[in-house]
Amino acid sequence: MTTSPPSSGSSPLPAELRARILAAASASPVPSRAVGRRRQAVALAAGFAVPVALSLYLGGPTFRARPVPYVVALAVAWLGVALAATLGGVTRGRSMLGRPAFVHFLVAAVTPVALLATALLTSTAWPETQDDHPVAAAHAICVAVTLVCALGPLGAFAVLRRHSDPVAPRLTGAAIGAASGGWGAVVIELHCTHASTVHVLLGHVLPVVLLTLIGVLVGDRVVALRGAA
Amino acid sequence: MVAAAPTAFAPVGAVRSFVAAAAGRGTSVSVPPRAEADVAMERYAAGDDASFGVVYDMLAPRLYGYLLRQTRQRARAEDLLQQTLLHMHRARASFIPGAEVTPWAFAIARRLLVDGIRRGKREVLSEDGELDAGRDHGPMADEVAQARELATEVQRVLARLPHSQRAAFELIKNEGLSVAEAAQVLGTTVAAVKLRAHRAYEALRGALGDVSAEGTKS
Repeated sequence: MTTSPPSSGSSPLPAELRARILAAASASPVPSRAVGRRRQAVALAAGFAVPVALSLYLGGPTFRARPVPYVVALAVAWLGVALAATLGGVTRGRSMLGRPAFVHFLVAAVTPVALLATALLTSTAWPETQDDHPVAAAHAICVAVTLVCALGPLGAFAVLRRHSDPVAPRLTGAAIGAASGGWGAVVIELHCTHASTVHVLLGHVLPVVLLTLIGVLVGDRVVALRGAA
Repeated sequence: MVAAAPTAFAPVGAVRSFVAAAAGRGTSVSVPPRAEADVAMERYAAGDDASFGVVYDMLAPRLYGYLLRQTRQRARAEDLLQQTLLHMHRARASFIPGAEVTPWAFAIARRLLVDGIRRGKREVLSEDGELDAGRDHGPMADEVAQARELATEVQRVLARLPHSQRAAFELIKNEGLSVAEAAQVLGTTVAAVKLRAHRAYEALRGALGDVSAEGTKS
């Protein structure tokens, strides 16, 4: 397909418009990229400080009641899922418009599935972990801890992508939510003493789905680029 | 707001462009230097305040043309252009090195346009579908009349198309974006944009063929 001339070039711009826009830009100075990067780093550090602080408050990783190799293997697998989700859902690659919408959709849809699938695969190597039958309260506690742990990264990611998506902000938000949920899942995996599939599904993966839905709202309210009313 | 200088609607040129598009022919006019806009934005992000003027010079005419065609209101187009460029200005600190500026700018402009429409701020088109001022009376009257007839038909066909097809066609043929850039602006794949634009071409080709046939008979 050929590219035709931009006929827009034939529409002369009002002479004073340039001066008006440049004056408006000068009137509201924005820091350079170097300063922006420092602020982004601070936002990220603050966001990830939440799960780290909570993890320390809970006494650090727990290895009792579950085989240590199981905990390590699953934590490493979920760390990979969280990293991949962050790479695909939060970072923008080399485009100011971010990654394509279908990538964000994949991140939002696949992250919870990948977490559950890796948990199932890992449990096949340690079948004794399925003998565990936690009560409903245990599920609820894990949901709450995962949500709280993920809120920090979610906030940091939202700051990073604030008002940056003019194309599909809800999908971007969903991907951000899924990525932050991935980080919350990593933390809960290091602390939870239960390993049954039902518990992993309800206590660890369900909150990731919830965070993905929360992310849709964040995308609509925070990530979306909006014009002046 | 200061009154804008009269702008040439140039129906003849617009129709020729559409006809060439519908016939699947390219044109020989070169596309503006996009890399300059990228470099200027890069310098602006790095701290060179003066480069924003270059960004404006590289992008504003194309964006303004796009917005003017969409809104058909000078004041609205100017307002949206200002908003678009100020959004880019505010994103200075987060500009990604090596990123393309043109699709980003068009995506912002399109979003602001869509938001404006959703808020019910879309201005009513003038009855003949042309701009509210600044008509070009240069060409011969019958040529202008014929061109306007074609332009009206083209606009009618475009208006009947699904929004996705119309948007893809306009971004590629009117605004000079590449298929890849249009895909970025619309948030879809290159293949989808190609398909949408192709369907728009086919619809236009069919409609303009009918108009030509009627003109030949008369």
